[in-house]
Amino acid sequence: MWERPLSKRQLGLLLVLTGSVGFIGVLAIDLLDAGREGGLGPAQSLALGAMFLIVIVGLSLLPLGDRPA
Amino acid sequence: MTAGNRGFYRNALRAHRFLLWAALLLLFGYLLVFLTYAANLIQFPFDYDQGEGFELVDTLLFSQGRWPWQDVETYPFYSSNYPPLFHLLAVPFAWLFGPSYAYGRALGTLATLIAAGAIAFAVRRDGGPGLLAPVSGLAFIASNTIYHIGPLNRQHMSMVMFETLAIVALANLECTGDTRKRRRTFWLGMLLILAAGYTKQLALATALAAIAFLFIRRPRRGLQLAVGLALSGGGIFLLLTLATDGQWWLQTISANVNRYDPQQALGLLQQWFGLHGFLVVPALLFLLYELYLGRLSIYSVWLVAALAVGLFSGKWGAGDSYFSTAIAATCLLAGVGCTRLLANSSGQRTLRSALALLLIPLLYLGYARAVLHLPTRTAPFASFAATLNVRPNALNGLYDSARSPEGDFPPGYADIGHLTTDKDIRAGEELVALVRAAEGPVLSEDASFALLAGKDVVTNPTQLLNLANNGLYRGDALLQMLRDRAFGLIILRAGFFPGAILQAIGENYEPDQVISMNGFDYRLYRPRPENTP
Repeated sequence: MWERPLSKRQLGLLLVLTGSVGFIGVLAIDLLDAGREGGLGPAQSLALGAMFLIVIVGLSLLPLGDRPA
Repeated sequence: MTAGNRGFYRNALRAHRFLLWAALLLLFGYLLVFLTYAANLIQFPFDYDQGEGFELVDTLLFSQGRWPWQDVETYPFYSSNYPPLFHLLAVPFAWLFGPSYAYGRALGTLATLIAAGAIAFAVRRDGGPGLLAPVSGLAFIASNTIYHIGPLNRQHMSMVMFETLAIVALANLECTGDTRKRRRTFWLGMLLILAAGYTKQLALATALAAIAFLFIRRPRRGLQLAVGLALSGGGIFLLLTLATDGQWWLQTISANVNRYDPQQALGLLQQWFGLHGFLVVPALLFLLYELYLGRLSIYSVWLVAALAVGLFSGKWGAGDSYFSTAIAATCLLAGVGCTRLLANSSGQRTLRSALALLLIPLLYLGYARAVLHLPTRTAPFASFAATLNVRPNALNGLYDSARSPEGDFPPGYADIGHLTTDKDIRAGEELVALVRAAEGPVLSEDASFALLAGKDVVTNPTQLLNLANNGLYRGDALLQMLRDRAFGLIILRAGFFPGAILQAIGENYEPDQVISMNGFDYRLYRPRPENTP
């Protein structure tokens, strides 16, 4: 497994996972840092958008199967 | 294939060659513009871009065996906020020539040329026919952003050079059959990424791109690179933190967390696309092709990572230079994409391949038009500008298509690129003479005047502001010196000091005169007479 190239589906899964964890992580900044005020900041909104895009790209790769990424 | 189609293809091939030569010629013109600007700056003895002087101070401190990451609460209140490699490279020149901007600017110029050469090399290695390789390399130098930051005494272009070399080195790692050669290439790539990261922190994105690419191609190799970089990079990081009593961590990491303005990032993103769109579009299309139909190359992964860095350009203190890695990746990927398109079309002699032949040079010609910049009053460009009726929209006769006809540009775009004049040098000399004549230390927003006058360089204002914005600066000792009117002269340019320092200057010093140099007004302040409220 560690010697073979990732397939498009594996890369897609990895991106979905990374994007989802990242999305939750960016949202969690507000929950963990109690001193923050004012909701989502501009950098946070941008990061959320980027994570969402990563998830979408990941999902679009899932149907492409075992072809090497 | 009909005789008519064959004839059309033959003509398209001829037109392709002619248009590509035309593109090469135009882009070569930008190389001349770049070298003219570099030669002008190398001869200019004072600060040109904000911050150049403090990079020189870092080099001089290293040349004396001292760390540039220092406690800003004690005199001379100076610290750097950058990693060391660029300054270390300049140290031998500091030993030979003393305080001078010339060698740092020459190093920046050389780094730009090497990065362009690496792009051309990669396109040629990928099978880039004839002129496409040099055209791709020259396209990098032709970028407005690369033009104006390349020849500065700043570390940014050296970082881009190391990044580009690392990516080009690692690109074909998995295709290397010889185990020893592959191992050597792997270590070389890792060393170059480390060099980039210890030149400027932004290279982290390139490190992540390289790890991601190797992981996609062979997960074990990607993990090896990640562990190797973490151990070597982390080890150096730890040593520097310990050796500087934590100042390395404080000054280069903690102080660099800055306010983010999405409007600035958006403006610079639009500008980047507007100027480089002729190459960005084919590069992105090739990225999509590799993602869904082919196999991802390291260049595609790099472009994505570099674009993410570009989005950080909304940070306070950031600017269009944050897109320079993306510009290198764009030029490389567009060149490789065009190479593949030509390779796929060759031998087919279809209408589609004929159109591809025509499209590629037209993209580079369109790009050459979009990035138009040149001095309009300096030979041999003046006659060219007159012929094309190009009117200056920046200082000292510069035309820069990154600006509006009125000279406006988005926040964050560096207001530089123009040639300096003898008048600027005379103004700088006057400022140095005033600093030399002043009693006691001088507080100046640019370091060159104090350096050339043989006085202490006191503070690095933007670093004080970085620290103050993060609640990491008190400034008691500097404020006390200002209240005591201990500085014989204060020189402000942009007022980048923390608010409390500016307030203390206003309360204890009075305006004396204004000297213009290089398009900027240097405001001089003298101590208010004793007992003045």
